[in-house]
Amino acid sequence: MARRELFSGLNFSGRSAAMLALLRDGSFARECFYIGPYAEAALSGLSATIADEIEIYRAKPASLGHTAFAPIDFAPLARREPQTLSGGEQVLLALHCFSLSSYAALGIDTALEQLDRANRDAALDYLDPRKDFAGNVALIDNRLPPPQVGWHTIDLPAGATDLDCDPRRVVADLARQIAPAIAVSDLGFRYARGRQIFQDVSLSLEGGNAYRLAGPNGAGKTTLLKLLVGVIAPSGGKLTLGGARYWPWRHGNRAIALATQNPDHQWCGATLADDLARRRSAFARHARVGSLAKGRLAKLAQLLGAPSLDAHLYELPLAARKRLSWLWPLAGALPWVMLDEPSIGQDVNTRSRLAAAIVRLTALGYGVLFVTHDDDFADRIPHRVLAIGDATIRMN
Amino acid sequence: MFTTPRLVVIALGAALNFSIGSIVYLVKLPIYLDSIGTILVALLLAPDRKAAFFCAWAAAWAGTAVSALVNPFLPWFAASDVAVAAISALVTIRATDIFRARPLRPVPFVAAVLVCGAITGVVAAIVSAPVVAYVFGGVTGSGSAFVVAFFLKTGEQLMNAVLLSGLAADPVDKVLQVLLAALLYRATPGELITVLRKA
Amino acid sequence: MTLNGAIAVAFIMIALAIAGPGPRGFAVLLVLAAGFAIVEVRGATWTALRRAAVVVVPLAAFMGFIWVGIVGRAPAEIAADVPGTRAAALIHVLSICLRLFFVVTVIQLAVLRFAHLTPLQFIRALALPVTAKRLLVLTLSLIETLRHAIDRAHIALIAAGTLTRRFSSRNVIHSWRLVQTVWLSAVTIALGRMRDKWPIENTLNLLERAVEGGNEKIFAGDDKIWLPVSLGAAVVILVADVFPGPS
Repeated sequence: MARRELFSGLNFSGRSAAMLALLRDGSFARECFYIGPYAEAALSGLSATIADEIEIYRAKPASLGHTAFAPIDFAPLARREPQTLSGGEQVLLALHCFSLSSYAALGIDTALEQLDRANRDAALDYLDPRKDFAGNVALIDNRLPPPQVGWHTIDLPAGATDLDCDPRRVVADLARQIAPAIAVSDLGFRYARGRQIFQDVSLSLEGGNAYRLAGPNGAGKTTLLKLLVGVIAPSGGKLTLGGARYWPWRHGNRAIALATQNPDHQWCGATLADDLARRRSAFARHARVGSLAKGRLAKLAQLLGAPSLDAHLYELPLAARKRLSWLWPLAGALPWVMLDEPSIGQDVNTRSRLAAAIVRLTALGYGVLFVTHDDDFADRIPHRVLAIGDATIRMN
Repeated sequence: MFTTPRLVVIALGAALNFSIGSIVYLVKLPIYLDSIGTILVALLLAPDRKAAFFCAWAAAWAGTAVSALVNPFLPWFAASDVAVAAISALVTIRATDIFRARPLRPVPFVAAVLVCGAITGVVAAIVSAPVVAYVFGGVTGSGSAFVVAFFLKTGEQLMNAVLLSGLAADPVDKVLQVLLAALLYRATPGELITVLRKA
Repeated sequence: MTLNGAIAVAFIMIALAIAGPGPRGFAVLLVLAAGFAIVEVRGATWTALRRAAVVVVPLAAFMGFIWVGIVGRAPAEIAADVPGTRAAALIHVLSICLRLFFVVTVIQLAVLRFAHLTPLQFIRALALPVTAKRLLVLTLSLIETLRHAIDRAHIALIAAGTLTRRFSSRNVIHSWRLVQTVWLSAVTIALGRMRDKWPIENTLNLLERAVEGGNEKIFAGDDKIWLPVSLGAAVVILVADVFPGPS
């Protein structure tokens, strides 16, 4: 009988370690396919193209007792680099490779959280013990509360609390903010020798609101972000901030505090102290940032679970780094906040607290932009959807 | 010699050598730093000098091999790669304790960077001069060509002009690269260094 | 023709170009290269020539500016301590650039001959030790990882006010932070793989199988024609031009 083991518990309860121990246990499987929680953990790290990634894992000779899992047709993408896929697409690629391989067991550590609802359901359906795949599966998923039919739950008690995290307390004492409206009119952008990403886009984003950016990979979510923080300049149209013309590509970003999907991409230093010092220095001219004293930031960092400001960021656990990536946006440094997949890898308590913190931010007048595939998380935040695609942005 | 962790570090160094050009382009700086990965790999393999040399050289080789299509002139400087790897493994590696000291001691740190960078630069200039003179006729497309032109105008022979230009420019370039490599080495998590030492 | 054969033929041609053949020898070399391009590479030859032009023409322009515009005489004239002419300097530049153009074109031809291969197939076909192949595979994968990290970190550091979009003193002082962020994010990913994914999956074993066995024989097929032809041309060029003997 195929085993389906679901590891349940909070962050830092030891779920990952317990699952890894199980995967290394010869009685579970001789060899397992593994999809880990960190960025690019779904990929083998041995391929420069999608075709090669599939080639590496494909069973030779092909002798599968189960159907291949292929929610995306990867054939047209064969020459693309796997790293250019979105996080969710990388997970789908990994599952596709697994389904073509000769591995008889699979371990997944929170990776399915990166999938949208349809693909998540497809993946869970594929792994359903009553369906085609007869091997063993071990799973950690913060969006899958136990009990689940066909799955044996391994419940781990709460671990040490020194990395306890409550984003609500970070925003509890924030002063009110009237975030200036961000408005674009007739915005156009095309990459050199590429397709038109935006054409004649006009919309207004008001402070005190939350907006969820939605759209398929390549639709323009990252391009919009690059335009708003000034990495690229539009080919047409104008941008205003609080009614006044705004040129972040010329004068720098002074509106948006960003938390990236992979927290390791956003640090300005190897320690949190370095990182915050750099940010405070860069925005020293802004009165609100000036009020963010080092001591206050240290206190806020502790509320997000930072052991010390001088701890080496990259030596902290991934879930801890992800939480600390919220510090600058939630500290109220800038009037707008952009969070890219903020809830990935976070347990149910932390996700709910983060959602509450975002709601509080909007109540205080801040503007929030976020990207997430976690509909449950998004549903906790009153928001409007910005649907990006076909060279335009529609607000629902 | 080439265990899995070492192969990964070599590949990281090679990838860094290859990718640094993208960073330089994005931040719009008029410099080209193509050996940071090589030097960094040597530092990471400290204190094993033999491993440091071979791994640093392998990083340079791999980086050049994958770069050859994009920059077909790089393979001509293979001898320079060997020289940089050798100096990094013999000289720069001695400063790893200074580079990683916490808190940072500015004076020893800067002195170590200057000395190691200068030695690396001088050796690289001497080794690369024949290639620049013979294969490229003295001009490789970098700003140092103007220094070569100056010496040629004063009547220096081609090889001498290239050598003098290299001795003027390469130490500055290599000091910068050693500085960056030292800062990256300083920031690298201890877990990676431990894994490499176990290998 | 095998990839190893193409690389060997390219290597012979490049070595001959660098050896500095005279006009007759260079003509023989051009015929050899043209034959290789027409028979093996065909239409993609134009791509090779275009790519070589993109690389060499700017360098040639810069070289011309230095040698003709500033120095004003050729190296041989400097060595002979004669006033020299700009025309001689121009000939010097043209001969160097022609040689470089030839070298770059030959490299492109050899690679374009096998443009249909994926990177893994390309590496598998090379006659290299398995360790070297593993290293190349890892390097190519990590280059993509770094590229992605550079793009994301660049956005984040501009958003954080650490870097600017254009050249600035801030970029001069802080661009090393972008390098650091990219390096550390890549190290973190690599450590995760070495700690968890690779040992659990035994992934590197899959890689061994994927890169081995691509070439039972190093040379095969049309290599048996091209290699003797290239070596024969080399003898002709070396005897005729490089080492002509007493006239």
